[in-house]
Amino acid sequence: MTRFETRERGFALALLGPALLLLLLITTAPLIYLGWTSLQRLDLGMPWLSGLAGVDNYAKMSADPRFWNSLALTFVYTASTVLLQVVLGLSLALLVLQIPRGQGVLRVAAILPIVLAPVVVGLFWRTLVLAPDFGLVDLVTRALGLGSHNWLGDPQLALISVIAIHTWQWTPFAFLVLLATLATLPPDIYEAARLDRATAWKRFVHITLPLIRPAVVMVVILRTMTALSAFAAIFAATGGGPGSSTEILNLYAYRTSFSELNLGYGASLAVVLLAITLAVSWLLFRRRRAPA
Amino acid sequence: MNKQGSVAIQGVVKRHGSVTVLHGIDLEIEAGEFFVLLGPSGSGKTTTLRILAGLESVNAGNVYLDGEKVTDKEPGERDVAMVFQSYALYPHMTVAQNIGFPLKMVGQTGDTLTKAVADAADKVDIGHLLDRRPGQLSGGQQQRVALARAIVRQPRLFLLDEPLSNLDAKLRMETRVELKKLQRALGVTAVYVTHDQEEAMTLADRVAVFMDGRIVQVASPKEIFGRPAHASVAGFIGTPPMNLLAATWQGSDVFLEGAGRVRVGVTSTDARPVTLGVRPADLRLAPEGLAARVELIEELGDSHIVIATLGSERVKLRTEPTSPLREGDRVQLGLTPDAAHLFDRATGARLN
Amino acid sequence: MRNALLVRRLALAAMAGALLSIWAFPVLWALLTSFKTERDVLAYPPVWWFTPTLANYREVLFGSSSIVPNLVSSMVVSVSTTLLTMLFAVPAAYALARLRYPAKRASGFYVLATQMLPPVGLIIPYYLALQRVGGLDTYAGMIAIYLTFSLPFAIWLMVSYFEDVPFEMEEAALLDRAGRLRALWHVILPQVRGGIAVTTVFVFLNAWNEFLFAVVLGGNRVRPVTVAMFNFISVEQTQWARLAAGAMVAMAPVIVLGLLAQRHIVKGLTVGAVKGGGRR
Repeated sequence: MTRFETRERGFALALLGPALLLLLLITTAPLIYLGWTSLQRLDLGMPWLSGLAGVDNYAKMSADPRFWNSLALTFVYTASTVLLQVVLGLSLALLVLQIPRGQGVLRVAAILPIVLAPVVVGLFWRTLVLAPDFGLVDLVTRALGLGSHNWLGDPQLALISVIAIHTWQWTPFAFLVLLATLATLPPDIYEAARLDRATAWKRFVHITLPLIRPAVVMVVILRTMTALSAFAAIFAATGGGPGSSTEILNLYAYRTSFSELNLGYGASLAVVLLAITLAVSWLLFRRRRAPA
Repeated sequence: MNKQGSVAIQGVVKRHGSVTVLHGIDLEIEAGEFFVLLGPSGSGKTTTLRILAGLESVNAGNVYLDGEKVTDKEPGERDVAMVFQSYALYPHMTVAQNIGFPLKMVGQTGDTLTKAVADAADKVDIGHLLDRRPGQLSGGQQQRVALARAIVRQPRLFLLDEPLSNLDAKLRMETRVELKKLQRALGVTAVYVTHDQEEAMTLADRVAVFMDGRIVQVASPKEIFGRPAHASVAGFIGTPPMNLLAATWQGSDVFLEGAGRVRVGVTSTDARPVTLGVRPADLRLAPEGLAARVELIEELGDSHIVIATLGSERVKLRTEPTSPLREGDRVQLGLTPDAAHLFDRATGARLN
Repeated sequence: MRNALLVRRLALAAMAGALLSIWAFPVLWALLTSFKTERDVLAYPPVWWFTPTLANYREVLFGSSSIVPNLVSSMVVSVSTTLLTMLFAVPAAYALARLRYPAKRASGFYVLATQMLPPVGLIIPYYLALQRVGGLDTYAGMIAIYLTFSLPFAIWLMVSYFEDVPFEMEEAALLDRAGRLRALWHVILPQVRGGIAVTTVFVFLNAWNEFLFAVVLGGNRVRPVTVAMFNFISVEQTQWARLAAGAMVAMAPVIVLGLLAQRHIVKGLTVGAVKGGGRR
């Protein structure tokens, strides 16, 4: 190896090393500590019970209905929000593509939900939009004769409401990305397709969809990660309730650790969430690398 | 330090993973020469250039500049300047700053710097563009900025990596001439990489022909044209390139299957399978010779290229525009003995 | 034929208008509400024509429930996080994007993986560890955990910007005797100036909006605006108008930055999952 290459390596190490070390310190070390904590009984409300507990927490988890509920909710929440975002985002992008003059304004409007703090979004919706009697949604439903509802207080409606909130905030992301991607598609292949007598629907299915597949996959990956770790908006809107009707795994772990102060069990819940997140991302990445 | 610009490459081998890109290259370039590395894409000529620059390492062998071993030296320490195919101009700097950058890096400042930059710019006729940015210049102008940046520090060696390939045909011709004049005026050794054999023929003092990671011939353009050392070289040089035909050589005749025979100036005792090379300009219509049938005639204005079938192979020959030949005509082709190039059929090595 | 085109245009315009309202309305509604009195807010049917009042803003900024200390808190945390992040991320991204060194793919994957960590998984060990060393309610502790999401994100965003610079730039600079560090400083960095600006905006944005870490690790001293929002909500009552005003103030920096950087938003949003592992 030449001096030239050695110096390049040394330079790279000097530039990357500090960041890597920092990351190791602030992410990997705490995660190890998390794993360790999950193997303990650590209940700040009942400190006399603390001590090593082995896999007790995990055993307890498998018999815990609230855990299974949170798992199911996580799945429903993630799947529905991501699906809605992609479908809505794509449809809107396709429609907006046909209004060249409106695109600029709409892109700016799309920014607003994305830059707001999720906690503020949750509060907005809770107070101004979904509040019974004078919230925006209630006004509309009352005007339409559908009556007033307790959008966040009713267990069924609460889940739908938080899904709506998340979708509202993040659909613009899918919209912007897909709009940008659609704009880069070369027009001549569409002209060729029209000459080949392909209808609009066929052109969409056979040309547009395959070409935007990488962008769609990427949106799905990113949005899934966000949905799995969604916290602030739900916390602000419902706190996980009513009861446990919007308590996704994320929130369950939080409540267990910081409301009920049972940090050992909370840690084990967090470990499960971590495992699920890594597994899902690995699967999605594999799909991305798989040939179309 | 003896700064003349002679280059020696000895036994250089380069591998990329399991692929051997250079199979042991030896080269000697004299100070002040305009030396061209010629070959098709992937033949190893650009890799060799980059090794000279120090941008690539070697797996074996050595590189010497002015007798000094520089194999392990950094690019910046070799006193070598390079013009990249894409020019690699710094887009955020003005032309003046681009040209002055190498001087700034060794600590030159102020008036000496400004003057050196102005001198270099004048040599390539861009003195009036010093305040512009690369993005505002045409391709030809950008190329000159790249040249000026290379010239300004008076290096002992110029390396040029297909610098004309991004220019349109007319500009390429004009710039070719200027490049050669510039090099002559500066007297700096230049090593120039190209796949365009016409460029190589017109610019070079000497040419090294690369094929598949090996140097096949090193000679002056005249020699390469007149006596190619290898069938592959023969088939690469010339517009249109030399005709290469499978034949058998026995006695002082070369026999082409289904076409006839030709007399050549050298004798072989046994029947040898050869490749016969003959330039399109050397093939003549003769009263008696090889039987051929005209397939197509390309009219180029000042000459015609006639494509004919000879036995089972195709040949090209040049004729006057006034030639009465028509497609489908049956003709006899002949060549003088000294216009025949004989290559061993198996190895491609030259036999006469 | 003419009519069909007109109808289609109107339909598209209507849909665009609807979209605009759906996305912009909550913010506009909050803006409107922030100028109402509490009574006007609760009125039904809703009062469209009302006398605007600045009382809410006065209270939120200068009054007893002022969130100005929280703005300061947010500013300190966000700015420090952003500065530290950029300091570490820019060189790291350059190495990942353009240099050759052993275990390059592995280090790339590692950085990518750290972006995937669920925050709740980090908050528990941080809480326990900081509590033990008295690091709760400190800026140092807060910034440390903020870095866990800023640093990987910034690295990947900068990698994509570095990859856009043509590869011969370093080689030309090295031949011009610049040396690697000067090549980076004089030649490469100026070409990614725009990328650095965009990344800085995004890192700041994410830090400013963070909630979970702020609420668990914060206290009375370190209390970003996202947490302060809850000042206006208690079990007995919600101060709607003040909450709206507080939210507008808290979100003002973020909205302004977002509008300024909006053209670069797509690039910033698509980072990470697009390019996994550096080239070369």
